[in-house]
Amino acid sequence: MEEDATVRNHLKRSTWSVLLAVVGVAAIAAAIAANAAAKAKARAAASTITLLSGPGPQSLDPGLDYTTQGSEINWEVYTGLTTYKHANGMASTELQPGLATALPKISANGKTYTVTLRKGLKYSNGAPVKASDFLYTVERSLSIPWGGSATFMTPYVVGAQAYATHKAKTISGIQANNRTGKIVIHLTQAYGPFANVLAFPAFGLVDPKTAPKPFKVQASNPPAGAGPYMVTNISIGKSFNIVPNPNWHGLPGIPKATVPFTEQINANVNANALSVLKNSNQVFDWADTIPPADLAAAKATGHYKLVNLGGSVYYFFLNASRPPFNNELARQAVVAGLNQSGFSRLGSGTLAPGCFFLPPGIPGHGTGPCPIAKNPATGDLALAKKLLKQSGQANTPITVYGEERSPRLQWEQAYVQELQQIGFKHVQLKEVADANYFTTIGESKKVNPQTGFADWNEDFPNPIDFYGVLLNGKAIQATNNENFGQTNDPYLNKQIAKLGVVPTTKLNTVAGQWRALERYVAKHAYAAVFGYQSFPFFTSKNVTVKFTNDIYGWDLLGIQAH
Amino acid sequence: MARFVTRRLLTMLLMLFAISVVTFVLFIVALPGGNPAAMIAGRLANQAEIHLISVRYGFDKPIYIQYVNTMANIFDGSAFSYQQGFNVLSQLGGDAPATLSLAIGAGILWLLSSIALGTLAAIRSGKYTDRVLTVLSMVGVSLPPFLLGSVLIQYVGYKASLIPLGGYVSITHPLQWLWHMLAPWFTLSVLFIGFYSRVLRGSILDAMGEDYVRTARAKGLSERKVLVKHVLRMSLLPIISLWGLDIAQVIGGGAILTETVFDLHGIGWQAAQSIGNFDTVTLLTIVMITALSVVVIGALIDILYAVLDPRIRLT
Amino acid sequence: MSFSGSDIQAELAFAAQSAQGEEPPGEQPGIGPYRLAWRRLRRNRVAMVFGVIFILLVILCLLAPIYSQDVAHIGPNTGNLTGQIKVGGKLEYVLSLQGIPIGPTWDIHHYFLGADTNGRDVAVRLLYGGRSSLYIGVVAMLITMVLGTMLGIIAGYFRGWIDAVISRVNDLVWSYPAVLLGITLGTVLNVRGLWIFHSTTLLTTALVVGFVYIPYVVRPIRAQVLTLREREFVDAARQQGLGNIRIMFGEILPNVASTIIIFVPLMLANAILLEAALSFLGAGVQAPNSSWGTMIGAGLQVFPGAFHTVLAPGVMLVLAVMSVNIFGDGLRDALDPRSKAAI
Repeated sequence: MEEDATVRNHLKRSTWSVLLAVVGVAAIAAAIAANAAAKAKARAAASTITLLSGPGPQSLDPGLDYTTQGSEINWEVYTGLTTYKHANGMASTELQPGLATALPKISANGKTYTVTLRKGLKYSNGAPVKASDFLYTVERSLSIPWGGSATFMTPYVVGAQAYATHKAKTISGIQANNRTGKIVIHLTQAYGPFANVLAFPAFGLVDPKTAPKPFKVQASNPPAGAGPYMVTNISIGKSFNIVPNPNWHGLPGIPKATVPFTEQINANVNANALSVLKNSNQVFDWADTIPPADLAAAKATGHYKLVNLGGSVYYFFLNASRPPFNNELARQAVVAGLNQSGFSRLGSGTLAPGCFFLPPGIPGHGTGPCPIAKNPATGDLALAKKLLKQSGQANTPITVYGEERSPRLQWEQAYVQELQQIGFKHVQLKEVADANYFTTIGESKKVNPQTGFADWNEDFPNPIDFYGVLLNGKAIQATNNENFGQTNDPYLNKQIAKLGVVPTTKLNTVAGQWRALERYVAKHAYAAVFGYQSFPFFTSKNVTVKFTNDIYGWDLLGIQAH
Repeated sequence: MARFVTRRLLTMLLMLFAISVVTFVLFIVALPGGNPAAMIAGRLANQAEIHLISVRYGFDKPIYIQYVNTMANIFDGSAFSYQQGFNVLSQLGGDAPATLSLAIGAGILWLLSSIALGTLAAIRSGKYTDRVLTVLSMVGVSLPPFLLGSVLIQYVGYKASLIPLGGYVSITHPLQWLWHMLAPWFTLSVLFIGFYSRVLRGSILDAMGEDYVRTARAKGLSERKVLVKHVLRMSLLPIISLWGLDIAQVIGGGAILTETVFDLHGIGWQAAQSIGNFDTVTLLTIVMITALSVVVIGALIDILYAVLDPRIRLT
Repeated sequence: MSFSGSDIQAELAFAAQSAQGEEPPGEQPGIGPYRLAWRRLRRNRVAMVFGVIFILLVILCLLAPIYSQDVAHIGPNTGNLTGQIKVGGKLEYVLSLQGIPIGPTWDIHHYFLGADTNGRDVAVRLLYGGRSSLYIGVVAMLITMVLGTMLGIIAGYFRGWIDAVISRVNDLVWSYPAVLLGITLGTVLNVRGLWIFHSTTLLTTALVVGFVYIPYVVRPIRAQVLTLREREFVDAARQQGLGNIRIMFGEILPNVASTIIIFVPLMLANAILLEAALSFLGAGVQAPNSSWGTMIGAGLQVFPGAFHTVLAPGVMLVLAVMSVNIFGDGLRDALDPRSKAAI
């Protein structure tokens, strides 16, 4: 229609000019901004080291947090009575005195620990450190409660259970003398790694005035601690600063900190790796997996190192309390069929193959030929098929439980395929949300899962950390169960009880017995181990990593800018 | 009008109630054993600890009491996340700047662009310009933000170093802020521009065939007046309506994908986190805020309709 | 206008009838309305091309089992972690030692489009994934359109308390952003399942996606009906003594047909997109089943080292959504004669 022409022309002009204006303004703004941003970035980089982490800590309150992301910071913010050495490799898993004058004196029966607090210590807010603060800190961590309380503290310290269940006003087994600085801890039974337990950030002393009763999680204003660093400016789930503690003047083996850090939490791990590659941020968190695509570039920088931290075992649990895996042959079939080098590829090449439950960094780790498949790197499919046939369990339907995040999901899918390959007729995968996964499979009564993914990172270099929780028949509980395979072998239970009392420092005396137990577990196929994880330590060019810690990963004192 | 507003307010309250009940029940149902204490207590907790947490947070009480307590906490501002221990309101306050930056910037970008492009396509209907614009808008509506965003970060950000690799910078550094917002604005807008300009083109074409437009033309009004006063006025209605509700949703955390891909720690990102963590309290609060903003804007739109189209009766 | 009737054929007749007067010269008189629309559509080459593309995509995806069994000889969930294949006479690992999958071999018989993170054949998974995506898209769209249109007309027509109830429930769903509601429902249903909607069926995701979009249809239709019901022809119909249902679906429905027709392809496209987003975020299709969304999500883990893992499903997704949209646009132009007025 003819009359439209004028409208069209008019509108054509105005719309195009609006468009052009929008595009133009955006382009100019972008150019200016890009320039300014580059300068600002350069300025910021000079002063502070930025650490990028995919998931952040659960909390920066040591009384709650039980994640690697929290511990790697907090172990240098909340020094315990004992702590770990600031050194490289296995030496970094050795205990040294922290706020105490010496390592604890252990009584002959292993049930009494005695330490003396150093004099003249101050918290980051300047308040003096008192011996009674240790009791206060333990009470606080048990009350909140800290994620590891029920495993490492309440069962062992006299009166801790009564305190935790509100049956007592204080923990009767801990006595502290503020005048002499002497702290005495009474245990209900000998517990080998207790000196290591004292090094947990959750038991690093806090200033009672900054952590008032009634105890609650102080997520954005955690209590003041005594350590080389302190945490400030917390924006939960986003970022926080880790700055040198002005009131820390250095202790033997624990120097003063000089370098300030800021941690940014960005779930987009790929972007994190890229920005470290571009040197616009400095540190990539070791607990995140470098996307395989960026690995070659990361390695080429020369600031990348794959570290086999003390211990991290990945396995599929096999539930011995119900078919098909109450049948030992069926369990052995699964173990025989695992193609571990394949699993390693799914984890960016970071898994080392093995058939023993303890990772190589833990004293007592099994050695010698694997009892079922001779070469765990390739597995033995023919043997697996034969074993399954003998077991007669091929028709039992199996549901494999698994987490959703990568590369775990990839591992689980490969595992499902392996089960089908060795002859199981009905296998299906059940994905569970990550946040919910371990409590879901921990429902040993209601869910009672047959098999699925599981992992464990060491809390301290002692086999009991693994066996005492994950394979101990005495540790099975109805909910929040960690012995997912419900392994309840009388011989195993007996040995765990016997070897668990040996202090970490004297583990070499029983290493042979642990190794024998390792072979026993591998032979009975109580778990299908598919690898030990090593972790990527990756930084930008303007940072040097002098040492890392085999338990906590980063040692901030070992990172320097230049 | 007063009656209309009062009724709206009352139904709004009812709706907030319904929406909160639905969300609350959804998450109670989803948790193993129906008891969030087991999850909050963590992997290694024992029965005593789980029980204590149950008692402390009131999970041992009947569900309706739990609901009342949770809502009371949300409204008096004392609600906190069981999983992460933060105060929910202050946490969301910290998330607001990123989300508002995204919503306002992208909203203006996509509204203006789609009005311009939609009108242009309509008056050039059937011509070359229209075809090109149609195909472009089709590409736009077909591009998922997570795909577009990832590709942008990888190639424009990393390879070409033209944009940052994500993250939010406070508006107190205006240039840095702008630099970090460009890609998210673009990514979020592309989807809407395609959609809006199509809808606008369609309704302009529809309106041009309407009797009242023909009448206006017959009365001898200039084409420009006909277009602006009659055609655009009616055709913009669905656009403004959509825009208001979409903006409300983005402010309430609807841009989950864009915020997640670009690591903008805003309300949508927080919502994704809280769903992942089964953090019922945080999610409930976010949903309340979103619902509130959507309902308020929805009511405003109804009033706007009445003003622009006198044939609608507000009763 | 003295038109009545409630089947779709009659609506189209109505639409065409009202258009008769404005048809450009050269149009033969006396041709049925369907034919007329079809003729117009056929003249729109772009729309036709994309319509054909979409049909081809559907056929291709339906042929997935045949391709999988008879050509590629590998199942959609069959991984190959440590195997090697011959590419151009050389043996190459399907997965490199760091886990980067092999790229396209362009050999139709194995790994035509390369491997994914688990060493599975991307081409095979792409077709199976397409089946999931399209199935969910269509089922979800039907749920949305049928319920959305009915509710919109009922609310707009009756007004009063019926409108109040529908609109408030509608607002309730509205006020949850689509993706947020989708993830919430998807996560919850995947954890516990509900009736027949347990986590392993695609129906769960289809239900979630379809449900989420209902208000997107209800709102505009209700708004349009609010205006329409004040028009003369509704009054006329009422005076003729027609019942409410007759008026709603005989008189009003044809008048909102253009909106519905715009919305069908739009909702199909949006449903496919939302499914992709949910699956990308892990709240949609569950492993080891694939959809284009899960494939993109998994592919981003090895992107850009193996960009085919993102590109292949990305292109398919965008192509499918785009062809639905473009064809839908052409369909709308062909069926809605009023839009011709401006040409």
